[in-house]
Amino acid sequence: MIIDSHTHVDLVEAWGWMDPPELMLELMDEAEVDQAIIMTYRDAIGPDDPATLYIQDAVKKYPERFIGYVRINPTAPGAIEALDQAIGDYKMKGLKLHPVSYVGFPYGEPTLRLMRRAAQYNAPVLFHTGDEALALPEQVAEAARLVPEAKVIMAHLGGYYHHEAVLEIADTLPNVLVDTSASPYPWMIKRAVDAFGVERVLYASDGPGCPPILEVEKVRLSGLIPVEQELVFAGNVQRILDGVRHEL
Amino acid sequence: MSFDFRVFLGESYDGTSQEVDELLRRMDALSIEMALTCPFRPLSCDLDQANRDLAEEIKDHTDRLIGAVRVDPWQPDAIVSLRNGLEKLGLCALYLNPWEENFRADIERLDKLMEVAAQFNIPVLVATGFPWLSEALQVRTLASRWPNVPVVMTNGGQINISGLGQADVTLAMQQHSNLYIDTAGIYRQDFIEETVEEFGGERVLFASGSPYFDQRYEIKRVQLAKVNENKRRAIISGNACRLLNLENCLDVSETKK
Repeated sequence: MIIDSHTHVDLVEAWGWMDPPELMLELMDEAEVDQAIIMTYRDAIGPDDPATLYIQDAVKKYPERFIGYVRINPTAPGAIEALDQAIGDYKMKGLKLHPVSYVGFPYGEPTLRLMRRAAQYNAPVLFHTGDEALALPEQVAEAARLVPEAKVIMAHLGGYYHHEAVLEIADTLPNVLVDTSASPYPWMIKRAVDAFGVERVLYASDGPGCPPILEVEKVRLSGLIPVEQELVFAGNVQRILDGVRHEL
Repeated sequence: MSFDFRVFLGESYDGTSQEVDELLRRMDALSIEMALTCPFRPLSCDLDQANRDLAEEIKDHTDRLIGAVRVDPWQPDAIVSLRNGLEKLGLCALYLNPWEENFRADIERLDKLMEVAAQFNIPVLVATGFPWLSEALQVRTLASRWPNVPVVMTNGGQINISGLGQADVTLAMQQHSNLYIDTAGIYRQDFIEETVEEFGGERVLFASGSPYFDQRYEIKRVQLAKVNENKRRAIISGNACRLLNLENCLDVSETKK
């Protein structure tokens, strides 16, 4: 069983990222991935946002394969309502935040407010985390520290040069998990398991740009034993998804 | 035939190291026949010594390992270092690392080195994607002044897990046909496919960047990329042989003679 906990389904002509659901399905089949959590590249700014509806349509079309996360710009006036609709009405399972795309500090009040709301649903908050300003692990960690009730997933294992910063927060922030997506380092997965404990590491591809067939291979090269791989590939994220509430 | 266009040998100031036997064992396990080796920046910062050490390390493996000269352009004798590396040590590419040697990739001070690269008809590898110093469009400026020198941007020309630098890489490659990318650690593997689709298979080179990146994983990026087999062969070995002027990569020792 493999659940890919971070993939994208969206059509954004301006960036040249045209990734319909069927492309993701094709790549999942190639890698024998059973299910994927999907999210857009765009940030929703309120209820009925086209980005959120795009995810909702894909989940409705392929309910056995896709699980939806809503991606929101926390600084938009309709941010809370967008989250309520996505998780309450559309039964989405998490919140995706990309501080670089919405140009806001992870520890700024708009982001914290939305994280607190997600925590009320016990829904995870997946942060793009990497090497660039606004998405540094240290900045995302500060948000996690300020909202300890939120389950924060740091994507990408710290990117190219900030993996040490990710590992360092493992002991002090028990509400932080990490995903393996797009990191170029197989060895970092083992180090993350050693630092965070296997229950706090999730397999993810960041597909379709980073194809699951390659990202799955990275986990297999990482030196984890089979029982650890099972948790990383599916068990851990399934536990988180099962805990999401859809009513306040 | 697989040719890893960029690996490192020796010991870096940051503690990373790779010995020649270790590298060859890794290459054997992956059926990688040849590699272009670059010196690390040593703790002493003495790149001349690092170049000599590299040449010494690979001299018994010339059928498999080729070396690049690493030069710090700030050094007054940088040209001498490059010439020595090419003429006396038998190295056959130039490796520039703006991040570790602290220079902008577009400075005119590099032109003397590029002139030598042009004379010797060797490729120039530039550690690319480092903020302020070697963004793709800065490397473009250098390449634009030396259209006859192949300039290889490492790491797909950007090191950013948002992929936000990739449009600049494509723009630079559209404008200058002497710009290439290597595949080490590249973000969004579909960037390899899109680059091949736009520019053909001739301007992408398989490189692992080992030991910073895992050679086992890096070769899979290319093996699993959705490109046709002719283009894959060019990426995995053909382009490296062409840029390094190795007429027959399968018998490099003969070619070098």
